[in-house]
Amino acid sequence: MKISSATLRTFTTLHTWVGLVAGFALFVAFYAGAITIFHHELQAWQSPHGVDHAPQSLTDAQRLLDETLARHPEARKHVGMVFPGGEYPIASTYWQDAKGQWRFATLDHLDGIDEMPGGTLSELVNALHYSLGIPVAGTYLMGIVSLLYGLALVSGVIIHLPKLAEDLFALRPGRNLKRMWQDAHNVIGVLSLPMHVMFAVTGAMLCLVFVVMMALNPLIYRGQLMQALGPAMDTAPAVAPANREQAIGSLAMWSERSIQVAHERGIAAFEPAYLKLANAGDANAVVEITGQSPRSLGPLGAVALNANTGVALSAQLPGERDANHATLAAAYALHFGEYGNTWVRWLYFVLGLGGAFLFYSGNLLWIESRRKRRQAEQGAAQWWMARATVGVCIGVCVAISVAFIATQLLQMPALRDAIDLGVGVNLACFATWALCAVWAALRPPVRAAQELLWTAAVTTMAIPFAHGIATGAWWWRSAASGHWDLFAIDAGAIAMAIGFAWLAFATARRARDGERNSVWTDPRALAASVRSSSAPTAPAIAVRPDTPSSD
Amino acid sequence: MWSRAFAGIVPGFLLSAGLVGLFTWALPGPWQGTIVPGIIAFFVVWIAVMAASFQFANGKRAWAWLCGLAVLSLGALWLLQWLRWIE
Repeated sequence: MKISSATLRTFTTLHTWVGLVAGFALFVAFYAGAITIFHHELQAWQSPHGVDHAPQSLTDAQRLLDETLARHPEARKHVGMVFPGGEYPIASTYWQDAKGQWRFATLDHLDGIDEMPGGTLSELVNALHYSLGIPVAGTYLMGIVSLLYGLALVSGVIIHLPKLAEDLFALRPGRNLKRMWQDAHNVIGVLSLPMHVMFAVTGAMLCLVFVVMMALNPLIYRGQLMQALGPAMDTAPAVAPANREQAIGSLAMWSERSIQVAHERGIAAFEPAYLKLANAGDANAVVEITGQSPRSLGPLGAVALNANTGVALSAQLPGERDANHATLAAAYALHFGEYGNTWVRWLYFVLGLGGAFLFYSGNLLWIESRRKRRQAEQGAAQWWMARATVGVCIGVCVAISVAFIATQLLQMPALRDAIDLGVGVNLACFATWALCAVWAALRPPVRAAQELLWTAAVTTMAIPFAHGIATGAWWWRSAASGHWDLFAIDAGAIAMAIGFAWLAFATARRARDGERNSVWTDPRALAASVRSSSAPTAPAIAVRPDTPSSD
Repeated sequence: MWSRAFAGIVPGFLLSAGLVGLFTWALPGPWQGTIVPGIIAFFVVWIAVMAASFQFANGKRAWAWLCGLAVLSLGALWLLQWLRWIE
């Protein structure tokens, strides 16, 4: 395919700049996002019950619901509840109090608490994923980053198109490091392109949907969007209370009825996951049960019932949804990897780490293509880019591992009352990240890279030990008792630790044996070679004529 | 570069809105039925328009073209809505 050189130049510049601006945020989003794929498993992992805890039953959940409605009158208007089961071992209810604050209750906290129970670590990783941990503005920032990411993808494809076929499977290792990084960057970018396109679009939507709806409302919806939204999006019809008391049905009845309704509409499997109950105690009580139907794109469907009689009111199930529900369910499922089986989620995990590599390698390419080959002195921009890449990217890996360890240790009996768990874990994470960034700013980049990679390897390796020491749920015990979700997180940490150690070795090799005159050259090695270079030697590197860079 | 970028962001936003509005309102059925697909499509169209705006020879042309097309598409949408030819 032929593309004019002016176009190529324009889009190369565009790709470089949007990549640099958005690359750091995207690295964090992808690394944390890959972990967030196992959100529910993390909730089980971080709870101190460990392997010995049996999941709660529907009877426990019923008691929780009854107590919540009895103790908290505001919850009668609207209450949400998670069914206990494989994904959430502990049932919890949530509602908004008179001031509009979300409150949560479990059987251990019937009077209500301000935070989702057992969610400290998984919420922190999720917040890093969608907002870099920045309150309020962070979400919009990530929405803008998603748009820049979309532009980076379009421009990346355009500059790559002319040589797509010949470059795709060319991974040329060897002395020309820039060429090898370029090949790796291209091959990962092109092979996971559909996933990246999907993330750019759904990511922008998830972060910016409200802002864009406000802007589009007067432009194309004649100011009627907000009124139309409720009826278009809710499964249960909005019903006003009848102001006549009536006893509500039970969780068991709703669960059974929702499965029955799904069956009647041709859905073979429907596993209730959570419910929303409105007007509890009133004749017009409505319950909406959302459940999973495996083997469909957008597995979440919902059935709305009269909560007292169990009469079906409406349904949005796979295969018979309207366009709004079908596209939203598909967008959610594609973004969160919630379709298919465990293999799809592991694929998302691997592609997520691959995505993080894509942005990391983009930064390295920027540095590499501006390298001054004939002099030891490198430009300040390259030095700072290297420092920032090391501090932010490797730093966040260390910080997340430290948050994992802190979550376990702070729940041990000795420390449980010393510091609030949420405060402690967040502090551990962000303080570690800041320290890593400062460390990277003060050290030569190649040394900081090795030191921080080793720190990442050690802290990540410590995760399963912290888990075992704090809860007794050592990975071999988890495996023996069939708690594969707990085992997978511990085993995953060990594998990642090995990966970090390997990267540390590779960085050391680059510093020692790689091409000289780079920010990645070890200053000590360089000094040694200058001392020994009094003897005439052949040039170590065959300097290539500079090819037009296409980073 | 900056001028073309802002052309893609500002009039490009309006043009994308016009294009998506025309398309979703012209589909059979009430407009309320395509709110979510329309908003998802909006992000795709806007990214495409922003990328395309770099193809103009200079910023002035980008602004002129995108503003013109935005007025045209939104004008057509509002006219058709006002005439109740689409709803």
